[in-house]
Parts: sequence; C-alpha cells; structure tokens
Amino acid sequence: MSRSTRTGAVAACLAASLVLAGCAGSGTADSGSSRLNIATLTFPQSLDPAQAVGSALPFFQASYDTLIKREPDGTFTPMLATAWTYDAGRTALALTLRKDVKFADGTAFDAAAVKANMERFGKGGGADAKWLADLKSVKVVDSAHVTLELKQPNPAMLFYLSDAAGLMANPAAFAKADSLKTSPDGTGPYRLDKASTTIGTKWVYERNPDYWGEPLPYEDLSISFFDNETAIVNGLKTGQVDAALLQTADQQISIESDPRMKTTKQEFDFQGLLLFDRAGQLTPALKDARVRRALNLAIDRKTMLTTIRQSRGQVTDQVFGPDTQGYDKALDTYYAHDPAAAKALLGEAGYAKGFTLKLPRISAIVNDALAASLAADFKAVGVTLVWDDLDGGSAVQKVFTDRAYSGMVMNMGQSSNDWVVVDELVTPGAFNMFGTTDATVRELIPAIQTGEGAQAGAAAHALNEHLVKEGWFVPFYRMTYLHVSDGTVEITPQSGMAVPSLYNYAPAK
Amino acid sequence: MLNFIARRTASGVLLLAVISFLSYVLLSVPDVDVGRQLLGQGADQAAVHAKNASLGLDRPVLAQYTDWLSHAVRGDLGTSWFTSEDVGAAVAGRLPVTASLMLGVTLVTTALSFLLGVWAGVRRGAVDRFVQVLGVVGYALPGFLVTLVIVLVFAVRLRWFPAIGYTAFTESPSGWLSTITLPVLSLSVASVAGVSQQVRGAVIDVLRQDYIRTLRARGLPMSRIVFRHVLRNASAPALSVLGMQFVGLLGGAVLVEQIFGLPGIGSMTVSYTARGDIPVIMALVMLTVVGVVLINLLVDVMIGWLNPKARVA
Repeated sequence: MSRSTRTGAVAACLAASLVLAGCAGSGTADSGSSRLNIATLTFPQSLDPAQAVGSALPFFQASYDTLIKREPDGTFTPMLATAWTYDAGRTALALTLRKDVKFADGTAFDAAAVKANMERFGKGGGADAKWLADLKSVKVVDSAHVTLELKQPNPAMLFYLSDAAGLMANPAAFAKADSLKTSPDGTGPYRLDKASTTIGTKWVYERNPDYWGEPLPYEDLSISFFDNETAIVNGLKTGQVDAALLQTADQQISIESDPRMKTTKQEFDFQGLLLFDRAGQLTPALKDARVRRALNLAIDRKTMLTTIRQSRGQVTDQVFGPDTQGYDKALDTYYAHDPAAAKALLGEAGYAKGFTLKLPRISAIVNDALAASLAADFKAVGVTLVWDDLDGGSAVQKVFTDRAYSGMVMNMGQSSNDWVVVDELVTPGAFNMFGTTDATVRELIPAIQTGEGAQAGAAAHALNEHLVKEGWFVPFYRMTYLHVSDGTVEITPQSGMAVPSLYNYAPAK
Repeated sequence: MLNFIARRTASGVLLLAVISFLSYVLLSVPDVDVGRQLLGQGADQAAVHAKNASLGLDRPVLAQYTDWLSHAVRGDLGTSWFTSEDVGAAVAGRLPVTASLMLGVTLVTTALSFLLGVWAGVRRGAVDRFVQVLGVVGYALPGFLVTLVIVLVFAVRLRWFPAIGYTAFTESPSGWLSTITLPVLSLSVASVAGVSQQVRGAVIDVLRQDYIRTLRARGLPMSRIVFRHVLRNASAPALSVLGMQFVGLLGGAVLVEQIFGLPGIGSMTVSYTARGDIPVIMALVMLTVVGVVLINLLVDVMIGWLNPKARVA
C-alpha cells in the first residue's frame, strides 16, 4: 500500500470518528404514534402458553385470549367463554364458548381446542401447571360447550381460567411445539411482529386485523425488558417509554418530582419472613407458637418501613391482601413492637437465653439495611440471626429442594383470590414445605374450598386471624409500587397483579 | 507475515478449545438446579426432574460438553434454556449493537488520542499540562458516573439524543447514529484518557531521538517530521494500548448497555450468566475469545504495517 493510500485511510478514519463524536441527534421518541411502549422488569421464558406464568401475563394477553376476562377490580367477565356455571357439588364447571372466533390459519376456536389447551397446560411442565392439578377431565359437550370436571372443588378455578391456565392457543400448532415458544399462535388482539422483535429484549406486536372483539386502543404494542429501573426512568423522562411499574423507592421519588409524569400507587407485594419450620425440625424453638409470636413482637415494622422503603407502604402482620375476603385491617397492626413482651414470651417458652436462627440471604431481596435491621431487632430479644449469603440460583435450590432453612425473607405477591393465598401459603407445598397444619387449619380449609360466598369469606377471615395469632409468618409491610406513564397513557392497576393487564392501558384524556 | 498469521490463528483455535472445555466444566459445577430456576419456587419436584432431564442435565458433564462441542463445530449453538430462542440467531441479533459501540469508541479514541497526544508531546508546556490533567480526570472518573451524567444532560435535560434503545443501521442510519452517540461518548472518556497519555509519552520519547534532532537540523518543517517520522514510530505502543482498551471495552459495554437499555452482547452476558443459561454463555465466551484473538492479531499486523522495524523484531 502506498503512503498516500495509507494517509487517506487514516484521514477517512479520523473524519468518520469526528462526525460520530460531533453529531447531533434529531428526534428522539416516536411520540404521537399509536404505539404503546411498555417497559418491564420481568419477561417470559417462552411464549408457549403451556409454559405461561401469571407474572408475565401481558406478553401472552397480546397474542392469546383467556377463557374468562379478569377486570381491574378482580371480577370476571366473558371473553372466549360467554357463560359459566358450577353444578351443585362445585366439581363440574360448564362453559359456553363464543362461536365466531378463529385462529390466524382459519381453524375455528371450539370446545376441542379448550380441551386440548387445558390438558396440555396441566401436563406442560410450566411453573403454573399445578393450577390444574384438580382438573380430572375436560368433556366436550358440543363445539360450543365444554365441561371441566374437577377432582375436588377449587374456588380459584375462574381465577386460573382468567390467567395463564385459560390462555387458548391454536391446537394446530401443538405438533410443532417448539415454534410456539417464539411464535405465538392465538386469537388475541395483537400478533407478534417477529421481524421487529428481539426475544429477551423487546417484543413488538401489531394489531390483529381479524380480532373478534373490541380492538384495544393502540395500533401497535412494544414491551421492552430492562434489568434495572434507571433505564426505565430515563426512558419515561424522554418519552421513549410510555408506561412502566417502578418498585424501588428511590426511583419512585425521582419520577414523582417530574410534573409531566402521571402516577398511580398500588400495594401489591408484601415483604416478610416466611417461617417454614413450624414443626421445629431444623430450629426446635420455632415449634412453639410463643416463640413465633415473640419474633413478630420483636421487629420494629414502622422503622423498617421508614428506613428501607422510605415510608412507601403499609405495615402488616397478615399475608392476606386487602382485595381478599380474608383480609382484616385490624390484623395489620396486631403485633406492636414490644421487645419486653417478646422476651417474656421467649422466657415462657424456655428460650430465655434465646436461640440461633439461620436464614438464607439473597441480596436482591434482603439489602444491607434490611439484613442489619432484622438482626438488630432479633438480637434485642436474644435471638441470634445468622445470614447465609447465597446467589439467587443456589438459594432456590437450597431452600426449596434441599429444605435447608427454617424460613426465608421473601417478597410475595398478594392475590385477590382467597383460595390462591391458601393454596400457595397454607396447604402443604412449596411455601409450606414441612407440611405444617393444625386442627383449626384442617377445619377451615374445607370451608373455604367448598363454601359459598360469604361462608367461604368468613372461613378465610377466621383462617387469616388464626395464622396471625399462631405466628405462622412474620410479615413486615406491603410495599407501594408506582405505575408511571409519561403523561400520554392512563394506567388502571389490576387487582391481584403487580403488572396491569394489557386491557388496562388507554390514551390519557 | 503469512506465516505469522497462520501460527497465531492455530494458537487461537487451540485457545478456543481449551477455554470452551474449561468454561463448560466451570459453568456446570455450581450447585444450581436449572429446572427449579426455570419452573420457579412453586413447581413440584417431579416436574423439575423432568425439566432437567429434557435439557440433558442428568448426564455426566463430559457427555454434555462433547454433545455441545459436536453441535457447535457444525454451527449449531443450541437453544437458550431461558428464552427458548436459537442461540446463534440471538447472539447474531445482538452483535451489531456491541460492534457499533466498539467501532465507534475505537474511532473516537484513535482520533482524539492521537490529536491530544501529539499536541501535548510536541507543544509541551501549558498544553501538555492541560492534556495530562484531562487524562487524569478522564481516567479517574467512575464509568457509571460519567454515563449517568451524560444521559441526564444530553438525553433527559437537553433531549438531543435518546436516553435508551437502539436503532439498527439498516433501519435508519441517522437513528443508528443518534442511538449510539451517547453510549460511545461515555465509553470513550476513559479510553481517550488512557491512550492519549500513551501517545504523548511515545511522541516525547521519539522526539528525543538523535535522528529527529538530525532531521530538525536539516531544516525539515516540524509538521513533516511529526507526521512522517514521529507518528510512525510512536504508533506501536499506542496501538498496543488501543488493542487492550478494545478488549477491555467489553467490560465497559456491560454497564453502558444496561444504563442505555441497549440490546447488546454486554447486557446479554450479564443477564444470561446470572441465570446460568449455559448454551448462551458458551456462545458468548467463544465469541469473546475469537474477538480477543482477532484484535490482537490485527494490532500486531497493523504495527508491522506502520513500522517495518517491528516486523523484524
């Protein structure tokens, strides 16, 4: 290469870099378009509804309809099923289906499709597949009628059918199941625009021109995944993100000072210590209800809420959320902060000198302030708290598979459905891994499971009160989350879900 | 030169094989139940076992590695455990983002570092002190702070550039330029600070050489001496540092991609590594090794091209 060519190449490089360094950008956001840009901190592992999980529901709601629609206040309205009735024993749920619904390839949505989808969801190995554990069989009556036969009454069945278990995909796609993971095939209001989508980062959907129902207000939809709220907040401030949910108090404060933002508060997750070992297999002291009550009395919830969540939330002593029938406002403050009473209870139980409690710590959930605060509160009554630092992956393994700890500090969503709370936290399972029960729990659970309306509500209320008094859990507070839009979108929070349903977004008036 | 390139390529392939094996074994050691992670805390144990078996995780690590390798050499990098996407396609989709950043930073760094370094080295005095202070400040400022300030000022406050997101060059060249400008700027600060000091030092060293004094004594104009003789001889150390900076940029890209919400290799590495998604991590490790080998090769070739003495050495 000659010297002049070399000089030319260097000059070209210099010119390009100077252009790059000095350029000024033109328009930043695609404001004014009819695209809704949602930012999120969670994303689905797959778009196959057999593996759907409730926490990622909006991704699925775009391409799939559920059998039943769940309104923002938690009530159920028709969607693919226009009517539903239980038999007297509440073990047969008859559904009447819409007749005018077709999948993209022209396949009709019918009773056979419901049967194929529900059987596939129950066996699909997804995280929520257990929801259909009570489903015995799906009987096709005719193309527009189907009956779900249950092994035992399940008061959350309508909830499940309005959630992941009710998503209906085209059975023609089941033969090529791998394709459903990245190419959804449903009857929903939008269709995935694969060319513009980067799975794992940004999912772009365009309106389904053949949608059977009322079209949603936006022509297009994009859902972007971020692993930190800083980027989301910057996106909101520059109008690149239209709507998002902010969980951390600092980011909430930063966005609230911006007058252009529209914000709506919602309390959804509670943070607390879930005690698993109520039979005292690992920590004998926990077998005694007085010890569990002492732990509840030992912690200073108000100070924790003030320092850790900057007062964004409500202290609580119960795991039932405000949208459930079991909830009782008085139980939010059942345990006052009373170290002396806690010490007295520990003395009565024979632990006057205290005991050691070892808990796993995932820094994403238990930050330094929370770890120090809990340890100090427990130490004041003589209980030594030992934190076992773990990363998220190995913690899940050690806690849930090896059952190596007596409890764990968690953030838990609060469902709007009493049975979902009972099934998740009280019946033997992942969060009652040692299978704790007692006479009161045994008596009340069937009443919630099989009882009608007010009767089931009363039982749930009684169960909640019993759990609080027995110190089954050590909840700290419900955390206030903030729904934020850049001012162009009206967001309606969804009862029982942290993220709003896709139907809950509309242009601001 | 061809012989040199062939030798370096062969050692690169060997390095790739060794690192792929070590990475796979190390990634398989942690006591993480992938099936449990995929299905969540509430899933029952039988479903978790079934999931692990479907991913082949119930087999010995060596068997898993051999299987991965035999597919990888045929170009099949597998499917992501956590997003179900084809790994090759997923990585290819994100590569242009990080490549744009690195190319941009390299161009900016090369241009500014040589300008500042030569300016300081030749002029010395106040100019030199100014450039040195600039270098120290640029190097000392924490990367995340620089990035956050740049976003706040140029995106949020002034609205000159977007705060998040990436537009592909093929979609809109001007959109591409506007989305990568701030990330490139924030990554370039430390890079320019480091390389400009190297250029400055090298220029000063070369200017002290006897042959420069001779050239000056013969009355050659300073600009000609600098561009023809000083730059060529000073470029070798600067290029070496530039090569190292380029490799080091991968680390900086992680932070910048997260703050700007860019769907690049850096942010991908963090999120997929945290989840233990072995097929994706292996692809990223391989890509990084290939990148490092190629960059080092390129730097050596360039140094040889610019300075024939280096070829002899």
